[in-house]
Amino acid sequence: MSAATLPATGGRELSNPPSDGISNLRFSNHSDLLLVSSWDRSLRLYDAGADALKGEFAHAGPVLDCCFHDDSSGFSACSDHMVRRFVFGSGKEDILGRHDAPVRCVEYSYATGQVITGSWDKTLKCWDPRGASGPDHALVGTYPQPERVYSLSLVGHRLVVATAGRHVNVYDLRNMSQPEQRRESSLKYQTRCVRCYPNGTGFALSSVEGRVAMEFFDLSEAAQAKKYAFKCHRKSEAGRDTVYPVNAIAFHPIYGTFATGGCDGYVNVWDGNNKKRLYQYSKYPTSIAALSFSRDGRQLAVASSYTFEEGDISHEPDTIFVRNFAGRTQLRSSCLLLRFRFVLDV
Amino acid sequence: MARNPNDRLPQVETTCESLLNELQVIWDELGESDAEKDKMLLELEQECLNVYRRKVDQVNLYRAQLRQQIADSEAEIAAICSSMGERPVHTRQSPGFLKEQLKATSLKLEEMHKRKSERMNQFLEVLDQIQKISTEICPTEYDPSKFAIDGSDLSIRILEDLQRQLQSLQKEKSERLRQVMDHLNTLKKMCIVVGIDFKETIREVQPGLDQDKGSKNISNSTIESLASAIENMRKIKIERMQKLQDLATAMLELWNLMDTPNEEQQQFQKVTCNIAASEQEFTEPNALSMDYINYVEAEVLRLEQLKASKLKELVLRKKTELEEIRRRTHLVAEADEPEFSIDAVEAGATDASLVLEHMEAQLSTAKEEAFSRKDILERVEKWLAACEEETWLEDYNRDENRYSAGRGAHLTLKRAEKARALVSKIPAMVDTLENKVTAWEKERGTEFIYDGAPLLSMLEEYITVSQEKEQERKRQRDQKKLQGQLTAEKEVLYGSKPSPAKLQSFKKTHKTLTLSPSQRISLGAAATHTPKKAYEVGTVSSGTRGIDNAGLSEKSSSNATATAAFETSSPSEDVKDTTKAMRVSTPKSPRKVAADGTGEGDATEYSFEERRLVFYLSRKRDEGAL
Repeated sequence: MSAATLPATGGRELSNPPSDGISNLRFSNHSDLLLVSSWDRSLRLYDAGADALKGEFAHAGPVLDCCFHDDSSGFSACSDHMVRRFVFGSGKEDILGRHDAPVRCVEYSYATGQVITGSWDKTLKCWDPRGASGPDHALVGTYPQPERVYSLSLVGHRLVVATAGRHVNVYDLRNMSQPEQRRESSLKYQTRCVRCYPNGTGFALSSVEGRVAMEFFDLSEAAQAKKYAFKCHRKSEAGRDTVYPVNAIAFHPIYGTFATGGCDGYVNVWDGNNKKRLYQYSKYPTSIAALSFSRDGRQLAVASSYTFEEGDISHEPDTIFVRNFAGRTQLRSSCLLLRFRFVLDV
Repeated sequence: MARNPNDRLPQVETTCESLLNELQVIWDELGESDAEKDKMLLELEQECLNVYRRKVDQVNLYRAQLRQQIADSEAEIAAICSSMGERPVHTRQSPGFLKEQLKATSLKLEEMHKRKSERMNQFLEVLDQIQKISTEICPTEYDPSKFAIDGSDLSIRILEDLQRQLQSLQKEKSERLRQVMDHLNTLKKMCIVVGIDFKETIREVQPGLDQDKGSKNISNSTIESLASAIENMRKIKIERMQKLQDLATAMLELWNLMDTPNEEQQQFQKVTCNIAASEQEFTEPNALSMDYINYVEAEVLRLEQLKASKLKELVLRKKTELEEIRRRTHLVAEADEPEFSIDAVEAGATDASLVLEHMEAQLSTAKEEAFSRKDILERVEKWLAACEEETWLEDYNRDENRYSAGRGAHLTLKRAEKARALVSKIPAMVDTLENKVTAWEKERGTEFIYDGAPLLSMLEEYITVSQEKEQERKRQRDQKKLQGQLTAEKEVLYGSKPSPAKLQSFKKTHKTLTLSPSQRISLGAAATHTPKKAYEVGTVSSGTRGIDNAGLSEKSSSNATATAAFETSSPSEDVKDTTKAMRVSTPKSPRKVAADGTGEGDATEYSFEERRLVFYLSRKRDEGAL
């Protein structure tokens, strides 16, 4: 089945987007709230369905990552080395803790109730948000990493950490004393993003070289045999490939298909099991900085924001698109729709 | 799809929903199980998917075709670019819509085609010109294959190459044209001088060259032909020039010889002033034309004829002179002397100058002889005069009436007396004469010939005759005496009478002298002629005279007319041998030769975010500093 290109609507463009690059965006697990962190030093909360900015939380420096706790609060990772918690309604903010270098990633583990941060100070820290009264009380543990942390992903009890130097550490959250697995990225180039499969069997890892690797936690041969890597987000012209970094990976919560976004401005949707690309959305104005599926997988938030891969150049303005994601039920009805359309139009 | 599907969405959705509802209803009525429903739904899905797939495939194919077209067009563009030696300038379109791309690419392709054909035209034009000029320059050697267009290389570089070739060809063409024009000009100038028709000449070289208009043939053959024509013309020019100069030289010599007056010379000043000119100096029109040369030649001929006639005159004069001298000196021309008939000279059979030379020789010999004979001749004249007187006397004596008194009787008496005295001297005269002649003959080693006869024998004869006469007279006297006696006796017996017989015999004896009557006449004539003449051999004449005046003294006014004909007021020139033949005696004052020859070539890796933060912070710092 050849990949199809859906009609050119990037989705609904959110109003009041950040004024500088978007570092990450996340749909809430409970609603259509969207949390967006940005280089304009703000953390914004949108109601994606209503296209409304619900809150904006200023920081001292560019905000490098964010995540929900629940619909009422969230966490931010800031370049000023701080990890903060925000209560959206009141705007109350408190510092959960600090690293020795900018905090690059933040995740909240529902399984353990802990906040996990990764920083360029080459450490992973776990925080207990309930003990957020003082900076040191929240810290649960600091776990040194071989290099600066570039990306984190959680599924169940598993934590995957990707660092500079293509290191990949797999942790069991129940035993953080040392990594469950110390791995090296199977891709030859710098890791951009790591995301765990929703089914918890493995993770996808993307690099700056237009490639994605599909890995599995099970180290048995049978399982490892299934792992593969594929090229994506590349442009071929005159026999030469231009490769683009793959900045974002997002898994559909239900189907297990996943979307990747690259510096080429495209979002591709893949069927990992069948090793097929399902479709490609038409090109976004600039690089795809972040992707996030809504809890039901019906919507996909796309951050079209220049990721500084070519340094300081002029670029398209930073925008957030929220598009409907064609799920199977939707496919079902849209197939019908199409069928009827054919009959009518042809 | 043109229509926004969203427009129809509500409508179709409703239909869809109602259909689904209907389906649900039917199913309910049928009592379909969930599995069955699902199955049907799945079937539905599949069918839809198939339809969808087909359509998608179709659209995909279309897209692939478009892409192919674009790629093809782009390839073609690239091919054209490369053939024109240009780098593909097209920028890959930012992935916009394929249709737009296709349009843009087609336009670009069209443009490239246009440019290629323009370039091709440029090539064709240049090649065409190159061919034209090549053909003009070298009609036979044009090799079309050299100038074929290589479709695969139409680059500017090649075009410029060709244009450079064209330029050099054009330069060559103009160079050749200049050469041809130069040659034509030179030829024209030469023709003008030589008096040959220029147009005719170049028509001979190459027909069509004489046209004033139209392009000139500039091939090698033309240039060579012109060059050789110029050479020919130069040869002609030099030939004629030499001829003219020879004529001029001859003319000058003749003028010199004949002392031609200035006015006559002026007419040919043009010729003589160029006597030592070089070929290039002859630039006047028709200066070397055949007509002019003939004209000059005619003049030279005329002068030569004049000279010949003057020579002839001179020869005649000399001959006359010689004859006169001989006559005067009673010389006879040697039998073995070559006779120069005037007719022969006139006919040109004999060289007049040679004759003259001989004449002069003869004259000088004659004069020399005359001088040596002078004394003897004088004596001979005296002797002959005496002989005549003797004869007269004898006649007188025989004349019985001599004593008769008549008119002039006393004169005759006187004369008789003188005669008798003279006659008595004759023997002495003869004797002396004989001695002198003998001495002369000894000295000269040859007989003294008087009017063709040896003088000595004349004298001998005379002596003999005289002796005979004497004897006769004696006899007669004796007889007379005897007769006288007898007569006396007779007278005594009878009386006296004269005898006429004696007179007649005396006359006869005298007539047997070998003196010819003509000689006698010449003697008489010589006697009357004034003997005093200055026979000067090798006169050094004052003033410079061209022709030998030996024998023609300045003083002899009788020859004034003769010399006048040969007077040359202008001094002679450095002339050639002809004058030597005439024995130029005077050293000439060297005359200045009139026509003298004055005649341009980390190692450390960083993520995007890390770099961005650095940049962010530095910018903040800069802003903070401001």
